[in-house]
Amino acid sequence: MSPTRTIAAVALRRMLRGRALWVGAIISTLPIGFAALTSAGRDSGIAEPGDVFGFVQLMLAVLPALFVASSIGEDIEDRTITYLWSRPIPRWSVLVGKLIATVPVIWLLSIASWCLASLAGGGQPTLESCLALALGGAALSIIAATIATLAPRYGMALTVCYMLFFDLPLGVMPAAIRYLSITQHDRTIADLSGLAEDSASSAAIGVVVIAGVWALIGLWRIRRLEA
Amino acid sequence: MSVVVADRCSKWYGQVLGISDVSWRLQGGIVGLLGPNGAGKSTLIKLLAGLLRPSRGTLTVFGENPFATADVRRRIGYAPEHERTWEELTALELVSVMADLAGARTPRSAAEAALAQVGMTSAMNRRVSGFSKGMRQRTKLATAIAHEPDLLLLDEPLTGVDPLARVEIIQGIRTLAAAGKTIVVSSHVLYEIEALTSEIVVIHRGQVLAEGNVYEIRKLIDRYPHRIRVECDRPRVLAAALAEAEHVARLELSRTGLMIETRDPDRCYDQLAEIALDREVVIASLASPDNNLGAVFEYLTSERRR
Repeated sequence: MSPTRTIAAVALRRMLRGRALWVGAIISTLPIGFAALTSAGRDSGIAEPGDVFGFVQLMLAVLPALFVASSIGEDIEDRTITYLWSRPIPRWSVLVGKLIATVPVIWLLSIASWCLASLAGGGQPTLESCLALALGGAALSIIAATIATLAPRYGMALTVCYMLFFDLPLGVMPAAIRYLSITQHDRTIADLSGLAEDSASSAAIGVVVIAGVWALIGLWRIRRLEA
Repeated sequence: MSVVVADRCSKWYGQVLGISDVSWRLQGGIVGLLGPNGAGKSTLIKLLAGLLRPSRGTLTVFGENPFATADVRRRIGYAPEHERTWEELTALELVSVMADLAGARTPRSAAEAALAQVGMTSAMNRRVSGFSKGMRQRTKLATAIAHEPDLLLLDEPLTGVDPLARVEIIQGIRTLAAAGKTIVVSSHVLYEIEALTSEIVVIHRGQVLAEGNVYEIRKLIDRYPHRIRVECDRPRVLAAALAEAEHVARLELSRTGLMIETRDPDRCYDQLAEIALDREVVIASLASPDNNLGAVFEYLTSERRR
């Protein structure tokens, strides 16, 4: 097997045997409860899709920190990374392998949560909104991986802080700076931003560019890291 | 060709010294890196494993820079000092993954063979999280040898292991050396190194103080009483059995163990094994604080300055 596949396989196995998956699954049920409560409080009996999607995005702020940042940060902090780096493998394969293992789980949890929450709120999830969550989940996972390489000890906490106090607030700013926000682009792709001037394709490119810049920082960092 | 060539190699962690100006050549065989905790042994081993980059100078393994050249790491087997590993995996899974990443053609059978070599066959399907210190050390050794490397780097492989595991690990390392492997093994306990090889490199405060035969160093160390900390289920029984021994200078009891100060560590280790067998005392771990070695190194350092 290639090193990337081997690392992905072992990361997935560890995740399936660990507690993080259960915590993630519990967190994923919160939007469903939120949607059900919101729809019950409305005369129409239908929750506002933008609100439910916003709640799922809050959850998406936590899942990459829980799965990606903690996985990479713990390996560096506990020095178990020495087992990997003393092998004849390219260092990027550690990051890519872990992302290959964790991103599908994040997709599964976030999209399932959104679909069930939409139904619980009396609405219907759209294909665009599911694609937005998939693209956003992957991009936020790359950001989480990079943050974990920059500050392994605080990778998880800093990732959550970045999502909650930078990316989410930035997305609601009435200025061009909001284009630095994955959250905002996600809402545009999902057709829930309420801003007519933004197109889904330019938003998708925006997400790819932001994630690409973070990926480059992460790859540069992992090449230089010492154990 | 030399297996390892270090040329005025230094490593600094910010303001903290790892190793300083080390020039060293290793041709083959077993070499013991001896020095007190914090002397720079682990830094040197990590540099050899390609985990660290020299701050100054050069270091090559098989003619290549191990930090920059991934391919040369295929020929290196590294067992780190720390105990942490992927606790969720079984020993077989862990060693298989490591063998696979190191390029073994049949990782699973290579892992099974390596685990058998370190006496872990019966426990190989158990998760690492439930392992004792000795079992962890053996598993680490298996991860290092599974891909049949030419150079083995073992960082404190005998720290904290029980007497039986100690004997087995030493035997395992000797067998590997007999098979033609070059082995670098670090320890802060001379008696551990001595059980493996007579060729040592003495490191203190990041510098190589002495290289060569172990016997001169031993003479120096024997001037100081050697301390052995034993953790066991019945320290009082152990203390009573040892109290009469001629070589014992002092005994100090605690709730979980016993600190022995001895003038003849070899005899003391032998006697401990005998007592454990005769009186059925379960020894959880043996450790040797390096205070005495530190004193010897201070002496060597002052000799060098003169």
